[in-house]
Amino acid sequence: MYYQLINFGDEEFYAYPNKSLYWKRLNTLIVSDLHIGKSISYAKNKQFLPPYDTKEILNELFVSLDEIKPSNLIIVGDLLHDIFSTLSLKDQDHKNISQYMENTDFIWIKGNHDKNIQIEGFKNFTNYEIDKFLFTHIPIETPLFQICGHYHPKVKIVHRGKTIFKTSFVHNEKIFILPSFGILTGGLDINSKEISDVLGKKNLNIYPVGQDKVYKL
Amino acid sequence: MNINKSNPLLLHPLNKWMKKKKWSWFPHQIETFHHVRTGSDVVVFAPTGAGKTLTGFINPIDDLIKLKKFKGLHTLYISPLKSLANDIVRNLEKPIKELDLNISFQVRTGDTTPYKKQKQKQKPPNILITTPESLALLNSYENAKEFFHNLKYIIIDEIHTFLDNKRADLLSLNIERLQTFSPNLQRIGLSATLKNKQDAKKWLCRKKPKIVSYENSVLPKIKILETKERIPWSGHMATYSINEIYKEIMKSKLTIIFVNTRAQAEYMFKNLWLINKKKLKIAVHHGSLEKNLRLKVENNLSKGLVDCVVATSSLELGLDYGDVEKIIQVGAPKGINRLLQRVGRSNHNLNTPSKAILVPTNRFEFIEAKAAIEEIKKNNLDQIDLKEGSFDVVAQHIFATACAGQFDINDLYKEIIKAYPYKKLKLNDFKQLINLIQDGGYVLKNYDQFKRIFQLRENKNIYKLVNRRETRKYRMNVGTIIENPMLKLKLGTKTLGNIEEVFIQNLSQGDSFIFAGQVLEFQSMKNNLVQVKRSKSLISKIPSYSGGRMPLSTNLANSVRALLAKSNMRDLYPDQITEWLKRQKNISKIPKKDEYLVEQFPRKKNFYTVIYTFAGWHANQTLGFLLLRGFKEFNYKPLGFVANDYAIVLWSLKEVKEIKKILNIRLLDKHLDNYLEETSIVKRLFRDNAIISCLIERRLPGMEKTGKQVLFSSDLIYTVLKKNEPDHILLKSSYEDAKKNMIDYNRLREILKKIDKKIILKKLTSISPLAVPIILEINRENLSKKETDEYILEDLENEILKEANVLSIN
Repeated sequence: MYYQLINFGDEEFYAYPNKSLYWKRLNTLIVSDLHIGKSISYAKNKQFLPPYDTKEILNELFVSLDEIKPSNLIIVGDLLHDIFSTLSLKDQDHKNISQYMENTDFIWIKGNHDKNIQIEGFKNFTNYEIDKFLFTHIPIETPLFQICGHYHPKVKIVHRGKTIFKTSFVHNEKIFILPSFGILTGGLDINSKEISDVLGKKNLNIYPVGQDKVYKL
Repeated sequence: MNINKSNPLLLHPLNKWMKKKKWSWFPHQIETFHHVRTGSDVVVFAPTGAGKTLTGFINPIDDLIKLKKFKGLHTLYISPLKSLANDIVRNLEKPIKELDLNISFQVRTGDTTPYKKQKQKQKPPNILITTPESLALLNSYENAKEFFHNLKYIIIDEIHTFLDNKRADLLSLNIERLQTFSPNLQRIGLSATLKNKQDAKKWLCRKKPKIVSYENSVLPKIKILETKERIPWSGHMATYSINEIYKEIMKSKLTIIFVNTRAQAEYMFKNLWLINKKKLKIAVHHGSLEKNLRLKVENNLSKGLVDCVVATSSLELGLDYGDVEKIIQVGAPKGINRLLQRVGRSNHNLNTPSKAILVPTNRFEFIEAKAAIEEIKKNNLDQIDLKEGSFDVVAQHIFATACAGQFDINDLYKEIIKAYPYKKLKLNDFKQLINLIQDGGYVLKNYDQFKRIFQLRENKNIYKLVNRRETRKYRMNVGTIIENPMLKLKLGTKTLGNIEEVFIQNLSQGDSFIFAGQVLEFQSMKNNLVQVKRSKSLISKIPSYSGGRMPLSTNLANSVRALLAKSNMRDLYPDQITEWLKRQKNISKIPKKDEYLVEQFPRKKNFYTVIYTFAGWHANQTLGFLLLRGFKEFNYKPLGFVANDYAIVLWSLKEVKEIKKILNIRLLDKHLDNYLEETSIVKRLFRDNAIISCLIERRLPGMEKTGKQVLFSSDLIYTVLKKNEPDHILLKSSYEDAKKNMIDYNRLREILKKIDKKIILKKLTSISPLAVPIILEINRENLSKKETDEYILEDLENEILKEANVLSIN
């Protein structure tokens, strides 16, 4: 799989076009904001999104796990969209997950969407520290390098009179934000106030995700 | 019946009023009265000024007077525009008030206050004047049946605007609902003159169908602007003619200048002001302007307080502006009906001809303008093709039906297939649409606990709304007109109007553009508000117009071909056009009426193929995409193409040797599906389908989604569905829509079916005079969205890399 090499906190990370991030030295795969079961949660308001998101997200995740065989999988928050989401996890899904858990340590950091939800067999954390890195859903005050999610960053690109928006990996010197690994999840402009408040506006490294490639701006 | 001998209208309650006004009945009014009285559904064709509105009301007023103090709703009048509805009320008011008739009448549109609407429901007037959307809403109320059960007449005004679109589908379904409520209901359609009158009759009439037609014998006087300037090869702004247009405005008391796009309107308006030495009062009018600004212009127009209004189709239909003396049409007429409609805006008097001047903006348009004038002389109108009804409108109708109360699906199906557009609706498709409203209609039954409508346990054919809250959602999403994502434009605290989000996205702070005739500077965008300030600069971008390119009608296209083939050029055209065509004749060829000229020549290292189809932009655009694929298959290494109304040009690295092997009907069969898959056409239509069918909401109670959010989620749904459920009814529906509208499928098929024997191939050494206009248009990119996105990213990255390398070398 094609990847884009990203240096962050003196470590090398691989950004994949499926919106996952790989930390080779520690054989750790990182994903964020899967929002599993978003379609179900919308259906309760009679907004019927196609119910295939859970299946697709899990398949994509399993493909990565098969290929990379990581020792750890860190989910930096919002694995589930809300309490209804668990309805979309079928028995077979649970079985598959527990099979992968045999070889990979699943580290589920709680996000604002799933902080009160439990799934059997999953270990929960509010945040998780490895070396000088802190994995957390929303960045906090800390001297550590932070890898987080929550914002679903996308970048606005104006080039030769055309404007496009692309889901992106983005980081400054201290904070790294992953794009959403979900299917029916929207995005937030990197220039929006919410993201600027966290990353600032200058010296951002932005990596838009293309069809089969992660670009570097 | 012998109309002359006995005129039953002489005994009509309105006859006294007519006499007082010194008016006499028109033959078509007498005829309509007779047919309706004897139980027929009727479509009346008559020109403006021939008492069309009154014609519709003759029978209802007669009935109401005879019935004496009739309580409840008796007649429903459907108008395509809110503004027209108000105008009708004013027209109806005069005779009813002056004769002191005991008939109540009211208007009900989106602008009617909730209080008034409530009162109307409790105590309906005898005559209600409304729009198709308001009718759909009325039908969705629980007491709809009681409200309408005594309805005697439904009058559809300007029925010609309702025949070929989704609004027509919605209206047809609601008319059938009314017929169910009130089986004695009679239908009266009022239309401008149409070529295929039978089709309008088929669409509307059920009981003893009748056509009543009154043709205008006074032809409009239309000429092309005589110019001393050079008419350009290409372009659409008519800059060359601005001084001559100004002179024409000065000559008349009141002029309307019609243009085809909003951008043209703004540009023309701005340019006229730059040369407005006489300080003429010139105004601009288009659909994106804030309602108050538009009303102000309309008001000034009807009072004769302006000298000239520059307008788009926004002024085409509607109110009578009696004092308009002259119409100037800038740009291609595109169709005979459209041109006649516009020309008819001047001199609303049956016996004096309308006056109009056509201003072609380029040379092909000159020929088109000339052809249009010829066709109008022959009274050869465009055909309006009826279309098969769209699925998404049925889905919306099912939702509306559920809002009105529980329903039997078999009864509903039987009712729907009575509507002309849905005669061929399959039961299976209908059931899928029921499922779509129930839970999205997905194969995976994940949403059992979250249904919108559900089957009764005791009778599986009866469906019922899950809870009444849903009715609010329906009511906020009713209708079939989907605007492009629009943002509100604010100058200080004043709202100027709406502007396409796509346009604003491309602006940076400080960029200027023209809107409502002013040069504005973009400042910021927040939520769906765009803040601007007045700019001092005169240089500006112009708002893009994505409101649809008007297609060149098949009728006019054929006429253009016939005209072009004529050899007496000197009699037909000014010298500059004649010279242009003569040179074409010498260097290449001018195609005969049924020939398809194909020119090929090398140019700047590439090889060019120009095909003159005269098929209209939509069909040519599609053909271009298909030919790209065909060329690729034959390894000619195609690089791109550009299409306009008249021709397509493709350029390739290699010489295209066997064009006849590619340009034929097989091209369509082989590549069309692929093409639809890969371009964003179906995706864009899916958004409309998802909104109309109420799968996603454009407005939720209490909050309005911005256009982009809707676009965003519908794109995601589209992608997920295509992957997992390619047979989903909404995908099918979008695909059908694409075939029907966007790509002009049938027109293209007709052309390709017969093209191979009629190709005239000319191998040239360089570009021909006829090809110059389209070669000048080459500047667009023709890649699909997906490809463009990748291309932009790739390109940008390379540029940055290059920059980086240069820096490190230095």
